[in-house]
Amino acid sequence: MAMLRRAIAAGLVVAIVMLYLAGVGLIGAFADRQVVTGYLSLGRLMLLAPLMIGGYGMARQAGSIVRRLTLGAAAGGIGGAVFALGILAVLALSPGVRDVFIRFNDDLLSFALFGLEPGPGAVLNVGLGMVLGLVGASLPVVPPVVRRGLLVGVAGVVLMSGLEPFVRPRLTDFDLHDVVLFLYEDQGLLPLAAVVVFAVSALLGVLWRPARAEVQRRFAEADPGAQRVARWVAALLLISFIVTLPQLTGVFLTQVLVLVGLYILLGLGLNIVVGYAGLLDLGYVAFYAVGAYFTALLTSPTSSLAIGLSFWAALPLVVIGSAMIGLFIGAPVLRLRGDYLAIVTLGFGEIARVLFLSDALAPWFGGVQGILSIPDIIGEGSYTIPLLGEIKGPAATYYPLVAFCGVAAFVAWRLKYSRTGRAWNAMREDEDVAQATGVNIVNYKLLAFAMGAAIGCLGGAIFATHLESVFPGTFNVLVSITVLAVVILGGMGSIPGVVFGSLALIGLPELLREFAEFKLLVYGGVVMLMMILRPEGFVPDVTRRRELHEAEEEPEEDDDTADPENPEPTATAAPSQA
Amino acid sequence: MTAMSMDDAAPAEDGGILLEARSVTKQFEGLVANRDIDFNIPRHSIVSIIGPNGAGKTTFFNQVSGIYHPTSGEIILDGVDITNLAPHQVAELGVARTYQNIRLFQNMTVLANVMVGRHVRSRGAWFAAVFRLSGIRREEEAIEQRSFELLELVGLRRSVADDLAKNLPYGDQRRLEVARALASDPVLLLLDEPTAGMNPRETRKMTEFIGRLRRELQLTILLIEHDMKVVMGVSERITVLDYGEKIAEGTPEEIRANPRVIEAYLGKQATA
Repeated sequence: MAMLRRAIAAGLVVAIVMLYLAGVGLIGAFADRQVVTGYLSLGRLMLLAPLMIGGYGMARQAGSIVRRLTLGAAAGGIGGAVFALGILAVLALSPGVRDVFIRFNDDLLSFALFGLEPGPGAVLNVGLGMVLGLVGASLPVVPPVVRRGLLVGVAGVVLMSGLEPFVRPRLTDFDLHDVVLFLYEDQGLLPLAAVVVFAVSALLGVLWRPARAEVQRRFAEADPGAQRVARWVAALLLISFIVTLPQLTGVFLTQVLVLVGLYILLGLGLNIVVGYAGLLDLGYVAFYAVGAYFTALLTSPTSSLAIGLSFWAALPLVVIGSAMIGLFIGAPVLRLRGDYLAIVTLGFGEIARVLFLSDALAPWFGGVQGILSIPDIIGEGSYTIPLLGEIKGPAATYYPLVAFCGVAAFVAWRLKYSRTGRAWNAMREDEDVAQATGVNIVNYKLLAFAMGAAIGCLGGAIFATHLESVFPGTFNVLVSITVLAVVILGGMGSIPGVVFGSLALIGLPELLREFAEFKLLVYGGVVMLMMILRPEGFVPDVTRRRELHEAEEEPEEDDDTADPENPEPTATAAPSQA
Repeated sequence: MTAMSMDDAAPAEDGGILLEARSVTKQFEGLVANRDIDFNIPRHSIVSIIGPNGAGKTTFFNQVSGIYHPTSGEIILDGVDITNLAPHQVAELGVARTYQNIRLFQNMTVLANVMVGRHVRSRGAWFAAVFRLSGIRREEEAIEQRSFELLELVGLRRSVADDLAKNLPYGDQRRLEVARALASDPVLLLLDEPTAGMNPRETRKMTEFIGRLRRELQLTILLIEHDMKVVMGVSERITVLDYGEKIAEGTPEEIRANPRVIEAYLGKQATA
């Protein structure tokens, strides 16, 4: 009985989520975005996914397999039924009242009922709910390999169809018309192509882990010389991939990559402040703004300084100036902890924006008009890189940005495994004890702020030259929140996590343009879900992962060897080095 | 126990005074937590502070380690006035401590906890770490090696080095806290109820360990302890606090016979 009650509760939650997604307009926005042309749209997928997740949740409970599957199907069926009831209820409203629910227009209602009459449509919803609930419920029951294959396969299909606007023109550029015809019709995949993509992705998903384990085993068995060679080869492959990316992806995607790179840079900086030192800074945008405005002042011939330095000449001044601002902001908040620190830094972020906007300071910062005619990063509009040819457009920003990200990641990585990094971590864990252990809290807090500021200002500097202008409106609190979301999604204190977070939170929404309107809604949802379900992030720091999922972790699976960013500590820990 | 304390008593006689507290008073608003406490710790001795709950023992500890500053009076460590120094400065001068309720850096590894303890005895600045300036690698290796030695000294297996501190069993957490304190090469070690929550066997081992620390590392140890067996067994001198005041001081035998001490402990129980 208790279990049945939980199934009903799960079904209700699922239905509420579905109705909510429909009510805010997400479903409608994606109803025409095809995944498999003629069969499945992204909007449909969004309606169906909650049913599966509900079933999955039920089957994670204890009990016999039959019981779990039954409850999953029940939860899905109840979810579908309540959703259908909700839709029918809206249909029953008189037209005047229905106008209040602006997103529940005729198109959406018909979409929710699969274009059928209300009766059959509702029944189909219930039936589909039961089937999907059952499928979801079978996920925890089937072997992990099957589960992984299924999920990666579906993800592959969604990604391939989502990337259509970018894949199609590139394939055409490379004269692969047959491939295009095989894969796509309109925006979505053709059914056969969808099956192939699903199979290939599923296979990759299944083979990935054993392959990785095998590579790791061979790597561990290799002698140190071969290991070094392997490491260099891997690094070279990665670098050449990153370097040729703009050539492969085309102008628009490069523009997206620039945006992703900017947030990687900002995330790396904030990661030092929040992830390493544990200082929750909600005003990180201030450093971004300061970097952008310093760059604008120093390089734009029309700024109040009117000295028109080149970007590279201005850069050291910008970094030093921003680090000083970091100290300046850090000093008054030295004594604050936790929530109080968060509130005050939030205020500082707003103060920065208001100062740049203010009429009183307009002679320097240009007020609402901002500062214009900032020269681009090279000053010529394009430059030439051997082997790659002439670089122009967003790619001209991409390369310096990648270099900056590399430098920032390198600094963050070296600091992480240093005396400084340990002192920061200790401070994060217990400020009083850290101090009694000999850590000079004042210095290390200021260092964290200055370091975060120096990295954040690099992002601002790039941003200013990329847009060739700065406006105060750009630097609002949402930037701070977004950067924080990037850090949280990837995993606090994790360097690859920042890259992942930025790709997922900045890159994906750019690819799905229908998404723009709902970006913040989704960010909020993502951060909440992460905090509840996976607080260590998707690509967690090794120690952090251990801390939060001690019990459910497969036994000692990839503790030392899997650390993607630093193979060194294990090497130094080995007695052979001593 | 008694035999051990006789052995250990020998080195305490020479070397002079390491820590001297002169009429230390600490007042919180209306409450006087410590009143006019005069207190000496001879070098290489083990000295205990005992007293009923709320007698001001931990307050005194916190003043020695720089977490509180006395309202009046002064504290001298080896000729240096540490009365108003910040905790990290006191740590640098060689005072290390453990806490009554274990306070490890919970989400750091066991090894990293000890390595943080080494902070004051290393110099590597952030830019040296970023650019791997000469010496930084050697310093890191030295820190790590010393940390492993200390883990061994306190009896923690090498295999737990990469575990998170908070996942250690209780007794091991206490040991780890001692290892972290020792990592700063202290001259004075403050132990705040090191046997709290331990069973008799663990307690006996910890007591022996405290004696060994003094012998092997030439330490001076100040101890807060409730377990009378431990106190009587290990310390040369005992100071008794009650209501923030020092009511007695002397060897374990003297303290055991002191009527005021008996009253402070037993008298309370009699009236309760």
